[in-house]
Amino acid sequence: MSGRALHFYLAGINNQNFLMRDKETGTWWQQITGKAIYGPLRGASLELVPADELTFGQWKAEVSNGKVLAPVPKYLKKYDSNWESEVAKLPVVISFPGTELKSRDLVVGLVIDGASRAYPWDELVKQSPVMDRVNGKPLLIAVGPDGKSLRVFSGLIDGREAEFFLKGETESEAASSRNLNPPALAAAPSPKPWVLLDTTTASEWNFQGCAISGPAQGKCLQRIPALKDYWFDWRNYHPDTTVYKR
Amino acid sequence: MALFFVPAFIIRPFTQQSSRGLAAAMALRQAAPSLTLIAAALCLLFALLLWRSATRPRRIFLSAMLFLVVSSAVMSRLNYFEWMFHPLDSPQFEAQSASKLESGEMVLAVRYGNDARAYPIREMAYHHVLNDVIEGVPVAVTY
Repeated sequence: MSGRALHFYLAGINNQNFLMRDKETGTWWQQITGKAIYGPLRGASLELVPADELTFGQWKAEVSNGKVLAPVPKYLKKYDSNWESEVAKLPVVISFPGTELKSRDLVVGLVIDGASRAYPWDELVKQSPVMDRVNGKPLLIAVGPDGKSLRVFSGLIDGREAEFFLKGETESEAASSRNLNPPALAAAPSPKPWVLLDTTTASEWNFQGCAISGPAQGKCLQRIPALKDYWFDWRNYHPDTTVYKR
Repeated sequence: MALFFVPAFIIRPFTQQSSRGLAAAMALRQAAPSLTLIAAALCLLFALLLWRSATRPRRIFLSAMLFLVVSSAVMSRLNYFEWMFHPLDSPQFEAQSASKLESGEMVLAVRYGNDARAYPIREMAYHHVLNDVIEGVPVAVTY
C-alpha cells in the first residue's frame, strides 16, 4: 500500500466472512473485498492478484518449476480434507430469499465494469464452456478437463467476438447436449484431450486460453478475474448482481 | 471490561453483524489495549487504597473485580481468533515433484514471472491468511 508492505493477521469475522488487520497500522480489512473498513487506512483497497482455483493435477500439467506451500507439521491434523462438506452444514446468518439460489449454493461471481453476475456452479459444470455477455462484453466461462478447475476469459480474439465450443462436439451437438442436460456427459472422462474451437478463426485453444493451432496460434485470450463463493456472501457484497440462466 | 467483552460479543461467529455494530466493535477493540491498561492500573490503585479498611467479603469482592479488569486488559492484547486458526508465520515450499498432494485437490494458483506457486486450499481454509512474497511482490493469500 503506497509502497509499504503490509502484513496481515486474522482478526475477526463479519457475517461469516473474515476480517483481518495489518500489523503496520492496525487497520481492519474485509477479506472478500480487500477493502479497509476501519482504522488509519480506511477506504483503501488492496490490489487483487490474478489467481486461479485449479486442481493440483491441472496446475502440474501447466507449470514445470512450481512451488507448493508445504503443510505445517504440527497443524497437519487440523487440515481437513472434508472442510467443504462440513462448512456446508454450518448455520448461515444472512440470507437473501427471492431467488432459486440457496445461501450455501456455490456460484462463480464476476464483475465487468461495475455489473455483477453470479453463475451457479452446478450449471457451469453441466454446460461448460459457457458463452455469456455482461455489460456488453462477451465472456467465455470454462470448467477444465478435470471438472473442477475454473477459468473465465474475454470472448474477444484481437477485438473480434468469437464463440467457443468443445472440440469433438459439433455446434449443434453442443447446443442439444445443453438442452438435454445429461450429467453423464460432464462426469465421464473424455477420451480426447480437452480442446476448444472458436467460430471466428477455427483455431484450437487450451484451458489456459491460448491458441495451440490455427490462424490464432500463439495468441491468448484475456483472463477475467472470477470468484468461487457461496451465494449469500456474493449477494451480500453485490446487491445488484444478476444470476446466469441459460 | 466492556472494552473487551462488547467487541467480543459483537464479533461472534454465526451471528449477524450490522455495519454500525461492527464499527462500534472495531472502535472499542482499537481503544481497548491502552484504555484497559489505564483502567486496570486505576483499579489496582483503588483496591490498594481500600484494602486495609475493607472487611473480608469486601476484599474478596475487590479481588474478583481486579481479576476481571486485569483479565480484560490482558485479553484486549491477545488475538483469540488465532487460537482457533493458527497463523502460518514462515511458509515453507516444496518443489511440485516433491509434493504429496493428490491430483484432485484444489489449489490457489498464482504466477509472477517465473515464480509459480500453488497454495493448497485445504491448508488455506485453516490458516485463512498467509503473507508471502512472490518475485519481490508482497502478497496476502486469503481464503
